[in-house]
Amino acid sequence: MSLRTARVLAAGYHLAMLYFVTWPGILPFAKAEPLVLGLPFTMAWIAVWIAGSVIVLALLDRVEKKHRIDGGGDA
Amino acid sequence: MEQWIVVTIIITLYLGLTLTIGLLAGRKQSDSVAGYVAADRSFGLLVMYFVTGASVFSAFAFLGGPGWAYSRGAAAFYILAYGALGMAPFYWVGPRVAALGRRHGFVTQAQLITGRFPSRNLSGLIALLSLIAFVPYVTLQMRGAGIVIEAVTDGNVPIWLGSAVAYGIVIAYVLSAGAMAVGWTNTFQGIFMVVIAWSLGLYLPNALYGGIGEMFTQIVAERPDLLDPPGLTATGEAWSWGAYSSFILVSAVGLMMWPHLFMKAFTAKDDDTLRRTVILFPTFQLFLIPVFLIGFSGVLFAGSPPSSDFILPFMILETELPALVVGLFCAGALSASMSTGDALLHASASVVVEDGVQQFVDLDEHTQRRLMQGLVLLTGATAYIFAQDPDSSLVLLLASAYGIIAQFAPPVLAALYWRRATTRGVIAGLIAGAATAFFFWQNPEYKPFDIHEGIVGLLVHIPVLIIVSLATEPQTEEHLDAFFE
Repeated sequence: MSLRTARVLAAGYHLAMLYFVTWPGILPFAKAEPLVLGLPFTMAWIAVWIAGSVIVLALLDRVEKKHRIDGGGDA
Repeated sequence: MEQWIVVTIIITLYLGLTLTIGLLAGRKQSDSVAGYVAADRSFGLLVMYFVTGASVFSAFAFLGGPGWAYSRGAAAFYILAYGALGMAPFYWVGPRVAALGRRHGFVTQAQLITGRFPSRNLSGLIALLSLIAFVPYVTLQMRGAGIVIEAVTDGNVPIWLGSAVAYGIVIAYVLSAGAMAVGWTNTFQGIFMVVIAWSLGLYLPNALYGGIGEMFTQIVAERPDLLDPPGLTATGEAWSWGAYSSFILVSAVGLMMWPHLFMKAFTAKDDDTLRRTVILFPTFQLFLIPVFLIGFSGVLFAGSPPSSDFILPFMILETELPALVVGLFCAGALSASMSTGDALLHASASVVVEDGVQQFVDLDEHTQRRLMQGLVLLTGATAYIFAQDPDSSLVLLLASAYGIIAQFAPPVLAALYWRRATTRGVIAGLIAGAATAFFFWQNPEYKPFDIHEGIVGLLVHIPVLIIVSLATEPQTEEHLDAFFE
């Protein structure tokens, strides 16, 4: 994957997260039930986005590191 | 032996261990300003991770978080949401800041901004705004420590004594060892906090309700309003989406702009360490889940604490846990308070000396370091006096602190990424943004859609910065090249 694509995807993920954890994106998910793993739905919804952030940033880091080693100076 | 004596022994052991780690940590550090403020830029991944995590999670998260879950329900979820959002941009911003720091010798945020926008007044203004945001924050950490100690010792150790002992120790290691001590004690305290939070967060719902799902099912049945997002206000009415969303936004923008956190970019050993800290940071955020569970476990519990901030010590004492557990919990809460308090004290002294005093009077390195140590004492003493006499306006001031701190984001981003920005544009924007935030904090009835005053401030700040910059003469190419290259 190119560096640019990886960066756009990572930034896009966090913008989507911002949209889906605040008004109005959160509205369809703003409810207590059904419980997910015992937690209220909204709480689990936010926790899933946080866990996703770790994965997305870790993947981005792999691409960034590959490009730094392959020679291309840091942008 | 009486329970409070066992608890006091455990706390004493814990505090002794913290002091030892703090004092030992400083021995390898150079006797320079870069040593005292930025630990000679030597922190590896483990220390960076816990320094960042433990400085963010303060007495507010450990006592205020469960308090919000207990009294305001779903409103507390905002605290969960903003951390990952606020941290992610630092994957790119952090290494850039660190590179400039290494090249130009910056150790504070204002030095970075005024390196690009040379102005003593701008530097002084940033130092002043930082200090205004810092003092009430330290005060609440101290009071938090005092409250916890008083509660778990049945009042045998009063607030004035508890906060004096805990912060006497913090001041001792911050004075002697600076950033290195803050780093190593936070690593120890961070591990402690995480373990305590998860064990209690999973234990209480199971012991009281027979499971986490079972607990929430009962809360939904008896208090449906509590878990209905965006939760409740402090007085129990439904909270607004405007306030909920803008709290997330202002906290995400402000999070890494806190000088004590921003300065961590200068303490990292290398860029990879910084990037990995950013990647792993959201895992620290998930530790709010057990903290909230502790608060929720109090909702249907018979009896209630004197105020919602006491819910954590209240639950611990009411459920008759063994003295050992109470003592360990207390140490965990102290960790939360002290690990943020030490970073705050250390940063406020560094900022005031480097960015305020040093700009107007020329001091040698040795005098600077002495002056910083004097200021740590002075800030600590000021906060201590406030902590004894809880002035409600201080709590209000803290709520607005994020509104002030968020105003540092446009100058930092302009310094790093916008070559056309000018010194006058940045000063005008900062004054306009801070003044707007202050006005709407004083007159909340005028806030549009209940939006946080810090966001309204940014909506004024950013256009002013852009317009004034474009209307004034651009910076010379030589200056820009010298800064960036």
